[in-house]
Amino acid sequence: MTAQEVRLCGLLLREHFGEVVEKVGTHLLKGGAQNLRTIIHETGISLDLVKKSLCVLVQHGACVFRSGRKGAGSPTEYQTCCDRILRILRYPRYIYTAKTLYGDTGELIIEELLQRGHMTMSGTIKTVADRLTQNMEEGRSMDYSEVSSAFFRLVETHFLQRCPPLAGAEPKDSATPAAPAPPGTPAAPVGVWNMLTHGDEGICWQVNFERFHLHFRDQAIISAVANKLDQTSSEIVRTMLRMSEVTTSPTATCTKPLSANEIFRSLPTSYNIPRPILDQYLTLLIDDPMEFVGKAGESGGGMYVVNMHRALANLARATLESVVQERFGSRSARIFRLLLRKRHLEQKQVEDFAMIPAKEAKDMLYTLLSQNLVQLQEIPKTPDYAPSRTFYLYTVNQLPTARMLLQNCYKTVANLVERRLFESKESKRLLEKSQRIEAILASLQASGAEPEQLTEVEEMITAPEKQQLEALRLHINKLDSAENQVDETIFLLESYINSTASTS
Amino acid sequence: MAEVKVKKETNLSDATEVENRIKQLCQQFPHGITDQVIQNDMPQLEPQQRAMAINKLLSLGQLDLLRNSSGLLYRMKDVQSASKMKGSDNQEKLVYQVIEDAGNKGSKTWIIHMPVRCASKKKVYMLYNLQPDRSVTGGAWYSDQDFESEFVEVLNQQCFKFLQSKAEVARDSKQSPMVQRNSSFATSHEVWKYISELGISKVDLSMDDIETILNTLIYDGKVEMTVIAAKEGTVGSVDGQMKLYRGVNPVIQPTGLVRTPCGLCPVFDDCHEGGEISPSNCIYMTEWLDF
Repeated sequence: MTAQEVRLCGLLLREHFGEVVEKVGTHLLKGGAQNLRTIIHETGISLDLVKKSLCVLVQHGACVFRSGRKGAGSPTEYQTCCDRILRILRYPRYIYTAKTLYGDTGELIIEELLQRGHMTMSGTIKTVADRLTQNMEEGRSMDYSEVSSAFFRLVETHFLQRCPPLAGAEPKDSATPAAPAPPGTPAAPVGVWNMLTHGDEGICWQVNFERFHLHFRDQAIISAVANKLDQTSSEIVRTMLRMSEVTTSPTATCTKPLSANEIFRSLPTSYNIPRPILDQYLTLLIDDPMEFVGKAGESGGGMYVVNMHRALANLARATLESVVQERFGSRSARIFRLLLRKRHLEQKQVEDFAMIPAKEAKDMLYTLLSQNLVQLQEIPKTPDYAPSRTFYLYTVNQLPTARMLLQNCYKTVANLVERRLFESKESKRLLEKSQRIEAILASLQASGAEPEQLTEVEEMITAPEKQQLEALRLHINKLDSAENQVDETIFLLESYINSTASTS
Repeated sequence: MAEVKVKKETNLSDATEVENRIKQLCQQFPHGITDQVIQNDMPQLEPQQRAMAINKLLSLGQLDLLRNSSGLLYRMKDVQSASKMKGSDNQEKLVYQVIEDAGNKGSKTWIIHMPVRCASKKKVYMLYNLQPDRSVTGGAWYSDQDFESEFVEVLNQQCFKFLQSKAEVARDSKQSPMVQRNSSFATSHEVWKYISELGISKVDLSMDDIETILNTLIYDGKVEMTVIAAKEGTVGSVDGQMKLYRGVNPVIQPTGLVRTPCGLCPVFDDCHEGGEISPSNCIYMTEWLDF
């Protein structure tokens, strides 16, 4: 748990749950597993508020509790992990993916579940149906069965999962916030909905983040193939990944082997390519230096696998190269790629291979070295490490560099969030004024006021103030979308690091 | 007075005779003759004229200039040893010595310098009419001690354009994918021919030179290379294999991090909330937001 991660988690908690939860959450992050009394004592917050904060954190899966380490009978301990809190950054992407796959209904289901942490199925369906009904025309209402079928589909494809049963220790502490009945669910069902709520209590559902991550990973691989090769090749890879969705474990380095016959049968009907052409495409995919697809055997017309770990490593490498190129220029990027290929090079060799004049090459190498993107390896010829008798080799280590860049990404997102909060705070007075005026307008319209009264109220905001508000709105949108863009980089780097950690 | 005048005139017109005499003396003493020997032989010769004659012979490459414990030696030059003269400090010392001997009027123009780039950064002086060896000058990429980075850039761009257009033509041909990929490849020989025909290079470039340029394109991430086996006779094959190059597309767009000001910020490490440089007062962010 690095300082940057803790800072970002604190900001995310503050935005979504308020300052009290932020204080409790960051305290837990920094301090490890603690019991209730310690938390109260060290944060100085009242018992009641601490209990509620812990409730919220547990509800969202950010905090786990277990019996104390000192044996049975010792107070329950609570522990937070920053991974789950950092997922908050990715909520927009989850919701958008659900929308593209399952339409508005799916989008709302996921949104509700993300907001509430976990909920029963009946509660979710009711809330979503009500929301959809509100947005529909008068007199029409959303059919519950439609919503529930969308829910079933989400469960079948593993995007939703059941919450693990709360198998904690017997709570001796009267303040244990075990909350199987999440807040927000109607306590007593009303109307037509009775039959579906029976036997439903206690079975809670939550969003399965891992499944979404697999989907994002597949998307990244497919778009990389489309960029490097062409659309048809990317469709073939998409088919292969779709076929292995449920048969491949999340941590596998490559999918199970698929025969060319199977692939041919599973291709979407719009891609009517003859069998020999498919074979050609597969051969080209294998020959490509990026090694997206590998051959695993000859039976069934050829057995092919998608190399996911290799693809992720290549994408991470492309990310690193992109950062060096944008930050330091294309010639520094040339040196960086050269070192990635050739592993270890002396300064003279770098100059010769990259065809950059000696002085400039030296300058660029030292800049990269000072930013820790490039490392220096000493190989002594004599035991006394005398500088004149030592080889100094430049090298790039992909994994540590990726880790360092990931921390930079966290810091960047935290900076963007802070700037957004700052901009809102600066224009707080103006924002409040515009909100008041909107409220007045709404109430006047509802009570049937005349147009002159409405325009009089509208003119209470002057033109420069309107401009300022407009500029503020643009700024906030820009910062928001930038956060999402950096989150894409974070996802790639995190996937690569996790994939490497699980294979090594 | 008149005598002296006559003597001078005779001597001037006999410059070639003086040279011939010196050459004869050299042949007489194959181990080399000193200045003193020449002086003894032609006592009437003035030091200046002696120096001029010796200069001429040296510049014509017919005499070798050496030094021993007692002074300078002139020796008949062996023709074969005149091919590659990597100068050394010894020669420089001898040069200055001779100029000194010739007095103040000893001209500095008698050996025309050709400064040559040498790996050890020593200035190498050679006789003008000799062609320096390739390893001494640094090859096609250096002219007059300067690394020609613009030339390399131009070649880089031209090679890339050639490969890119070849790949585009292959893509637009809409043939089967295997044929498309194979026709987007170009051998290093083809690229070499194209560049030579473009005529942008004053110096003759070899295929190896073109391959170093193509390698820089690989390090730029714009080109990829494969090696295939080729029959020994096919044009452009070296040791039974040929290198094929083709233009490629980047595999990702510029990543999200670099689209924010923080990703490119030079003072990223100094920035923290509450400090002098912080997200709240960041000028890069202000500029970027108002863009």
